[in-house]
Amino acid sequence: MISFQHVSLAYRTGQLALDDLSFHLRSGSFTFLTGHSGAGKSSLLRLIARLEKPTSGEIQVGNTAYSTLKTRQEPKLRRQMGIVFQDNQLLYDRSVFDNVALPLIIGGYKFKDIKTRVMAALERVNLASRYAENPINLSGGEQQRVGIARAVVARPKLLLADEPTGNLDAEISEEIMKLLLQFNASGVSVLFATHDRELLNSFKFPQLVLEAGRLSNASDASLHLHAKQAPETVS
Amino acid sequence: MKEPVLGSRWNYTQRGYALTQSIRQLRQRSAATLLTLFVLGTTLALPAVFWFGSASLSNLVNGSVGEESLTVYLSLDVPDLEGAALAKEWQEHPAIRKTTYVSRDEALALFQEQTDLQDAIAALGSNPLPGAIVVYPSSSDSASAMAENAEALAARFNQMQTVERVQIDLDWVRKLQSALNLFQIIVSLLAIFLTLTGLLVIGNTVRLELLRRQREMQVSTLLGASRSFLNRPIVYTGTLYGLLGGAVAAVLATVSYSFIKTPADQLAAQYASPFRLALPSAGQFLTIVAVCTLLGLIGGLMTVLRPSPSILTNR
Ligand SMILES: Nc1ncnc2c1ncn2[C@@H]1O[C@H](COP(=O)(O)OP(=O)(O)O)[C@@H](O)[C@H]1O
Ligand SMILES: [Mg+2]
Repeated sequence: MISFQHVSLAYRTGQLALDDLSFHLRSGSFTFLTGHSGAGKSSLLRLIARLEKPTSGEIQVGNTAYSTLKTRQEPKLRRQMGIVFQDNQLLYDRSVFDNVALPLIIGGYKFKDIKTRVMAALERVNLASRYAENPINLSGGEQQRVGIARAVVARPKLLLADEPTGNLDAEISEEIMKLLLQFNASGVSVLFATHDRELLNSFKFPQLVLEAGRLSNASDASLHLHAKQAPETVS
Repeated sequence: MKEPVLGSRWNYTQRGYALTQSIRQLRQRSAATLLTLFVLGTTLALPAVFWFGSASLSNLVNGSVGEESLTVYLSLDVPDLEGAALAKEWQEHPAIRKTTYVSRDEALALFQEQTDLQDAIAALGSNPLPGAIVVYPSSSDSASAMAENAEALAARFNQMQTVERVQIDLDWVRKLQSALNLFQIIVSLLAIFLTLTGLLVIGNTVRLELLRRQREMQVSTLLGASRSFLNRPIVYTGTLYGLLGGAVAAVLATVSYSFIKTPADQLAAQYASPFRLALPSAGQFLTIVAVCTLLGLIGGLMTVLRPSPSILTNR
């Protein structure tokens, strides 16, 4: 599903955020991406979402080799993945429904499909009854669930989560973790960036551990991480 | 599953969404929007008034030249019969539309009617006035071609034995026409500048809207929005400003035009001109609105096509 080969990312400031990363994640896997603050977790996710371009190295997601990707193909690539942000990135000028509907409007879906898909996604995060409310009136955990509904509403094959539980207390973190597990069970590959010790300890999934931009648990650069039980699927 | 109660299904299409967004932007800041529309309206109203007016002015010039005529005074020794025959003969000429012969007696009668000099003429004992042929040149497309035609005819008449003197009537029209031409050039320049100002007002306003929509654009980009999806609401906002500003301009122009109408008509009447200012037609009104809408569209496109720093990436 995701493969990095000798990928480095230096920001314009000269900051080397990621240094020579190589790894491969299977389709349908659930992987933790962990490391201290500033280790490069967000940078790695941004590379996958093509919000940054690597300074060197080759990234491939699904059948798409990023080195040959044209700028105008990037939006389509992004539409094929779901992203959950730490600061949820909801729009407070519209209802919960309209927030979740946005990826479908962008994707040009039919109104009928938008209605059923949005309501189904809200159902899964247990917020269907709140669809007409402004997200500002929802609690932090509820808002994050709206963010998750929005990330999965277009049924992506890959879900990237950037510390979605960062600002939430343990109980709600676990709730969100369970939601992500559900999506993973239905075949979605999940890459979950977090430094939440409790989560990492209670859920035994493969981890990509970043330390100052380097993979610290990958002594050998071609380390392959596998999902616990997920069979290899064609992506 | 629960059936959600939603707004129009059209709001959930790509174009409908863009339009809803731009209308919402305009309405949320209604005071600022109204102010902008007023500025836009007044800026564009002046070119609109000029345009309405210049249509009427060319009517005046061309209409009056259509009436242009030459009065050819014949020698005193040409008898009426010969004069009338001459008039008839000239009428056959392709450059001449119509001729009328004014006999010596008719000329005297006209003269007496229009002046208080009856006594003086009576004292002369005989009729001092020559016969005359009024020549109406064939009409041409343009006022200047018409004038040239009259000029050429006058030159030819002047060479004839039987002709005493040629007078080109309504010469003042031509002088007025030159003055009006100059006036129109000045006014057109002014109109161009004001229209450009309108374009800049729209461009600038749209740019501000763009900054205000920054967050929505960022989120949409993260969700995979294409360039055109991001740009569409901005272009629509520009077009809406053009449309509404154009409507304000057209109304303002019509109102101010109706203020000008009465004094202008009175002035024309003093010069015995049949010219009257026509109030703008519905077609003209709509043309103003359409042109301003186009202006708004251009303003919006200018804004989105201007290279702007990428909202997301650092390079
Ligand atoms: N846009 C940026 N410009 C310059 N440096 C950045 C930028 N984003 C992140 N960095 C730097 O890159 C490193 C990795 O950051 P980040 O990927 O956000 O780490 P994490 O998500 O693990 O906290 C940090 O040193 C950070 O300061
Ligand atoms: Mg981060």
